[in-house]
Amino acid sequence: MVDTTKNTKLFTTYGVKTSKAISTEIAAKLISKAKKPLFVVGTGVLDPEVLDRAVKISKAKNIPIAATGSSMIGFVDKGVNAKYINLHALGFYLTDPNWPGLDGNGNYDTIILLGHKKYYINQVLSATKNFSDVKAISIDKSYIQNATMSFGNLSKADHIAALDEVIDLL
Amino acid sequence: MSKLTTGSFSIEDLESVQITINNIVGAAKEVAKEVKGAEEELGPMGPTPFPTIATLRDWSFTLFDRYEPVYTPMCDQCCYCTFGPCNLEGNKRGACGIDMKGQAAREFFLRCLTGCACHSAHGRHLLNHIVDLFGGDMPINMGASNVIAPNIQLVTGRQPKTLGELKPIMEYVEEEVGQLLATVHAGQEAAAIDYDNKAMFAGVLDHVGMEVSDIAQVTALGFPKSDPEAPLVEVGMGTIDASKPVIIAIGHNVAGVTYIMDYMEDNGLTDKMEIGGLCCTAFDMTRYKREDRKAPYAKIVGTISKELKIVRSGIPDVIVLDEQCVRADLVMEGQKLKIPIIASNEKIMYGLDDRTNDDVDAIVEDLVTGKIPGCVMLDYEKLGELVPKVALKMAPIREAEGLSAIPTDDEMKALVSKCVECGECALACPEELGIPAAIAVAKGEDYSALEELHDLCVGCRRCEQVCNKEIPILSLIEKAAQKAIAEEKGFVRAGRGQVSDPEIRAEGLNLVMGTTPGVIAIIGCANYPAGSKDVYSIAEEFLNRNYIVAVSGCSAMDIGMYKDADGKTLYERYPGRFEKGNILNTGSCVSNAHISGTVHKVAAIFASRNLSGNLAEIADYAINRVGAVGLAWGAYSQKAAAIGTGCNMYGIPAVLGPHSGKYRRALIAKTYDDSKWELYDSRNGSKMAIPPSPEFLITTAETWQEACVMLAKNCIRVSDNSMGRSIKLTHWMELSEKYLGVLPEDLYKFVRNEADLPLAKREMLLKMLESERGWEIDWKKKKIISGPAIKFDVSAQPTNLKRLCKEA
Repeated sequence: MVDTTKNTKLFTTYGVKTSKAISTEIAAKLISKAKKPLFVVGTGVLDPEVLDRAVKISKAKNIPIAATGSSMIGFVDKGVNAKYINLHALGFYLTDPNWPGLDGNGNYDTIILLGHKKYYINQVLSATKNFSDVKAISIDKSYIQNATMSFGNLSKADHIAALDEVIDLL
Repeated sequence: MSKLTTGSFSIEDLESVQITINNIVGAAKEVAKEVKGAEEELGPMGPTPFPTIATLRDWSFTLFDRYEPVYTPMCDQCCYCTFGPCNLEGNKRGACGIDMKGQAAREFFLRCLTGCACHSAHGRHLLNHIVDLFGGDMPINMGASNVIAPNIQLVTGRQPKTLGELKPIMEYVEEEVGQLLATVHAGQEAAAIDYDNKAMFAGVLDHVGMEVSDIAQVTALGFPKSDPEAPLVEVGMGTIDASKPVIIAIGHNVAGVTYIMDYMEDNGLTDKMEIGGLCCTAFDMTRYKREDRKAPYAKIVGTISKELKIVRSGIPDVIVLDEQCVRADLVMEGQKLKIPIIASNEKIMYGLDDRTNDDVDAIVEDLVTGKIPGCVMLDYEKLGELVPKVALKMAPIREAEGLSAIPTDDEMKALVSKCVECGECALACPEELGIPAAIAVAKGEDYSALEELHDLCVGCRRCEQVCNKEIPILSLIEKAAQKAIAEEKGFVRAGRGQVSDPEIRAEGLNLVMGTTPGVIAIIGCANYPAGSKDVYSIAEEFLNRNYIVAVSGCSAMDIGMYKDADGKTLYERYPGRFEKGNILNTGSCVSNAHISGTVHKVAAIFASRNLSGNLAEIADYAINRVGAVGLAWGAYSQKAAAIGTGCNMYGIPAVLGPHSGKYRRALIAKTYDDSKWELYDSRNGSKMAIPPSPEFLITTAETWQEACVMLAKNCIRVSDNSMGRSIKLTHWMELSEKYLGVLPEDLYKFVRNEADLPLAKREMLLKMLESERGWEIDWKKKKIISGPAIKFDVSAQPTNLKRLCKEA
């Protein structure tokens, strides 16, 4: 098993509460247990190795994908339920209990994060952390301190191995 | 002078006061005449001349009703007073009672106010200096325009004719900046939305301050005046001829540097030494005395991200600082390489000795011998003589010593071998660059990976600050990129100044009807998410699509750094008028006022709307009819926050790069809430449904490709005619397919009838609307029978302001 909880060094200071470092097992459990999850995937997913894992994660639990930035191009014809949305707007809509969601059926209780620039996703998550109850689970390569739970800072090889473990556990 | 025109009053206990009734009556008549004269010239005064904090609150609240403030705090604590630090996480309240939203809004407002103060203080300095030199009676000359100060006229109701008449405008801005700053104090304002209103007001004042700055310098310093063919300027680190003595100027205020240039000209030194600059002073150096289109000899090195790189190259023989966007470590860095630093502005004196009152030759001696690392020089006559003299004397000394921070080949090998790849630098790097991996490659004497980091690196030095082995990582990158740096040579058009009235007359109709698809204003700093080529790519994409691309400041420089296969920059390939398919560079940071002013001018000149003191109505016109969107892709400074926020208040949306989430506040509409997408038709006050564009006033994008799609989409306006709407939808669809791989999901929200659909894809789109949205189509006539939520009425008069409706 990859130790995904190591090296949770902060990028900068947001506040006294930071996300809890989690193992691949916990990440998989949280994803599996979510009532209405949304897989929020950034442009970093266009790395073929990461994209392959993102598609597998989405398919494993039939989780809809919010494709932010220019990541949508990676999901065309991949057989997943992916829709483009701007990340900043998404962060705002998640704080609105009346947001109908990407499917028109209401807001989400859990977001799973992959493929983001850490400074950008941390900033967007500072809104969901302070102004909503949404649970944010980061399975990204960098420690995301404004998520609810996150992997630590991982090498690329460890990150890919960790994603494979999550896929196996789903 | 009394403002009384009629009425009665009494004066008690004034035994020795003489009252001359005729003078009072005369004064009253004079005031009445003045007002009448102004109205004849400028139109009737609108409702909000010289607004204060509360005056425009209704308008900003109208905007906030659709474009809601979105807070993304950079820090969850408040450390303002000694009650704290308070943890505000989860929107808790602190010891003073303020909540997280209030604190985030206050922080954002403070950024806008700081930016406004910077531009305005710069403007005040320039204005005083120029009035001292040329007199207050000097007529303002901005080129072929009657609307010479659109921001000033819109906000204050005044149209200054002389430089002296700009002084009361600055006094107004300064008073309001003081009032606004007071609200930051603990226990003053508490409501987030009121801090947001104050931020908007600070943004408005910012554009007034910027306009004063550029009017003063364009008028008096011989800058190009509304000139689409302003000369081309060399830009890039590789343009500096290091074999000559080199002066480098850094900052935003050209006042002092003009004396250096005058001295060089008077003493025949322009071809014997180099003068180059970074940031906006550089732009204004190239505009100085260039209204006759003579090629500038001053060169632009680049943006703030090149500051440390040019210093470490050892090329400068003296550095002159003025104000804003100057690195705080230049004295320390300069000292290492015996580069004297001359501070020429009392706002940044950097701990240096003030030698303003000393003999120039004595100062030269102290600098050349290294007795002092630099000095403050506030006397511009002396500055003009001091700086070239220092450069001429330092150049041979420094050349003999071969001073440079760039490692030799042997030093490079030793430095990269010290790296243990701990990864601290990568964690600290704001650009998340793969520095350890690049150094690992360099251990095999392959510097290509390090070279690739050069354009991506913003030159902040955070990597070096955390390196346990004290490796000068920035210098390693620069060493690896020596060849690329030497080839960094491009062209940018010198700032042309304002868009002229005739240009507006020629283009206004196309813009309002939508047949010119939009104005993309690429402005701001160099904190890009993935290198400087992004702004070039965006500019090229929209120029090829016949948009008007307006640029200024650091982005304008970076756009000029890249060439096509024929070796030509965008400034050489595309003309510089305010016309579709043109790229126009207004100039330095303060010239951004001309971009917002252009939008006001469309309302004033094309639509004959009254500008004077009429902000809400003009902004309402802009947001509904003028398809202009700003892009500050590398916005880093507080000034960029102020510029963007001022644009928002004027009804102009802005997209920022991903770093700008750190500004802490966006204004985003809920596209899913139909109640937010209605306007009044001012012909009868009825409600009309509108498409969700612009869907934000200020927000961020993740990549330049996403930004392209957002820019095209948000140029769509209520008033587009069918030909214009189909042109805009074509570009939006094409960009979405090109960069996102799919057609836009919400395309249907923008379609009013079949004529809005691009002809080439009309049938396919009609089929899609029928099958996916259930719209009824008459296939014989290829017409939409029912389905669209919005109607097309070319004579509708859309407005957010009920007071403008006939039956209101």
